Amino acid sequence: MKGTFSWKWAVIVVSIAALMAAGCAKKQTVKSEGAQGAPGAAAGQAAPGAGAGAAVKESPVPAAAAPAVQPPPAAAPGIAVTEERPSQFDDVRFDFDKSEVKDEGRKTCQVVADFMKKNPKAKLLIEGHCDERGTPEYNMALGERRATAVMTYLVSLGVPKADLSTVSFGKEKPLDPGHNEEAWAKNRRAHFVLK
Amino acid sequence: MRTIGAAAGVLLVALSLFPSPAFPVLYIDINSPGGKRMPIAVADFVVGPGDPSLSRRIPKILSDDLALTELFDLVPSTAHMETVTAAHFSGKPLSFPGWKMIGAEAVVIGNVSVRGDRLSVEMRLYDATQGTLMVGKRYSGTPAQLRSIVHRFANEIVFTFTGVRGVFGTEIAFSARSGKSRGKEIYIVGMDGQDLRKMTDNRSFNLFPRWSPDGQWVAYTSYRTGVPNIYLRNVSTGAEKEVVRFGGSKAPGGFSPDGVWLFAGVSVAGNSDIYRVRVVGGTLEKVADGWGLEVSPSPSPDGRRIAFVSDRGGSPQVYVKSIGAAGETRISNGTNYATSPSWSPAGDRIAYTARSGGRFVIMTVAPDGSGSRDVASAPDGDCEDPSFSPDGRSLVYTYRKRGYSSLKIISSDGRRQRTLVSGLVDAGSPAWSPGR
Repeated sequence: MKGTFSWKWAVIVVSIAALMAAGCAKKQTVKSEGAQGAPGAAAGQAAPGAGAGAAVKESPVPAAAAPAVQPPPAAAPGIAVTEERPSQFDDVRFDFDKSEVKDEGRKTCQVVADFMKKNPKAKLLIEGHCDERGTPEYNMALGERRATAVMTYLVSLGVPKADLSTVSFGKEKPLDPGHNEEAWAKNRRAHFVLK
Repeated sequence: MRTIGAAAGVLLVALSLFPSPAFPVLYIDINSPGGKRMPIAVADFVVGPGDPSLSRRIPKILSDDLALTELFDLVPSTAHMETVTAAHFSGKPLSFPGWKMIGAEAVVIGNVSVRGDRLSVEMRLYDATQGTLMVGKRYSGTPAQLRSIVHRFANEIVFTFTGVRGVFGTEIAFSARSGKSRGKEIYIVGMDGQDLRKMTDNRSFNLFPRWSPDGQWVAYTSYRTGVPNIYLRNVSTGAEKEVVRFGGSKAPGGFSPDGVWLFAGVSVAGNSDIYRVRVVGGTLEKVADGWGLEVSPSPSPDGRRIAFVSDRGGSPQVYVKSIGAAGETRISNGTNYATSPSWSPAGDRIAYTARSGGRFVIMTVAPDGSGSRDVASAPDGDCEDPSFSPDGRSLVYTYRKRGYSSLKIISSDGRRQRTLVSGLVDAGSPAWSPGR
């Protein structure tokens, strides 16, 4: 492709216009963007943002656009450390991208249900977790579905729903920080926390 | 687009003074990969009152910006022969043949002065062949705003040559684990990799940052109370408000282009659906639902449609639907796992994460599901969570290998890539701010 640099016409037109605007062949116009700039200088400008409040942008140039000086980061992004509140119950484990409570998990749920029925004042939080694969939002919803599947099963075993609650941590709180199937299998879990 | 409108406005002012039927503009074809680059020289700045080092520091910021576009060849300052002085801002012409001789087809000059906490910068772009002013601007602000002012003029230069406003001065918000905290915080970093800082610091999980269309607010999910809720944070003032408390897990997806609505995936009784809520407050309205998980809404630039993820077909896939109308179209294909759509502000493409051969890769597709294309992949790691730049020409995404991750930026045709921030742990959900 030749001649992407065909300046001439526009440059001539714009510069002549600029010269005329300046009213002097030696001067060329410079648009002012300062807060004290002439109102006309901002006439051709449009805010790059959109919607309510976006028009702030261009005329009082950076005053509104740039945030105030920020303190340096208090701490640089660092090493993953997660903590798990210990539980007297085993975790319920799941297959990849699944939320069905399997046989092993059903046995665990039976133990939990027996405990809850013997301790009617107990309140149980069911945390839903995922392995590190896949995007955070989807895993967040998947963790919620896993926690809810366990809650539903506990209710079917006779635990009052009012004693149960759920929270999903998605992929954010791995139990095992490893990056292999063994770690992932441990991390796809529902974890019980007595409150 | 708005930027084109702005351009027309500027040109109309000129035209009304000198009507002319046709005027081809000095032009760089941004859609022609490997096309000719514009040789440009950025002269040392004239410093009035102020730190003399500004003379080199400002051209460096400007040159780094221009280099990022890969549309320009910077003529090194060691080759410059003419010293720019204050007189060049009051009528004395530059010796353009000299600039042409060292290969520059365009020349940028500038002067800067600092009086107390008052910063003034004037910058001019000249056509070295014609010896004419192409664009000139005067800026004033505080010294802390220097970078943002220079980015603005870099955007002017890109706009002058391409007709598309540059994205310098835009920022990327993302979540990552922080030093000693067991949680994750939201960070913000400039698109040039500068000025990395924390937006949150509460040591819980702070996730899924999304920018409002005016760039003033970030919506995000925080576990600071022990359960996830969605908050809005003003990035300038730090003011904050809670917008969604209803439901279980929840993640904001994006704002409507008019800034009125926030779209979010919200779980109720374990089933996540797509809702929207007025930013000023109010009840949630359901936008898309089904027996499956519906998450990650990304509105189209005209606000009429959303792209979102649903696993209604047995695996997570990306769908597009018109807001307020029944039915949706699946647009992801050839993968058993497609998530995190990002609708380009240019409107023509939707990027998403796809699972391919055991790895996660970035793909783009037209909103009707045609023209699917691989954009980013890595043989030794995962590429996830794409977010388009405001001009639609680039994508930011996470690259993850065994827990350590970085943010990378790639041109939307997949040809050019750079690392934005490296050495992060569990970085996620990068979101590119709107234009500045």
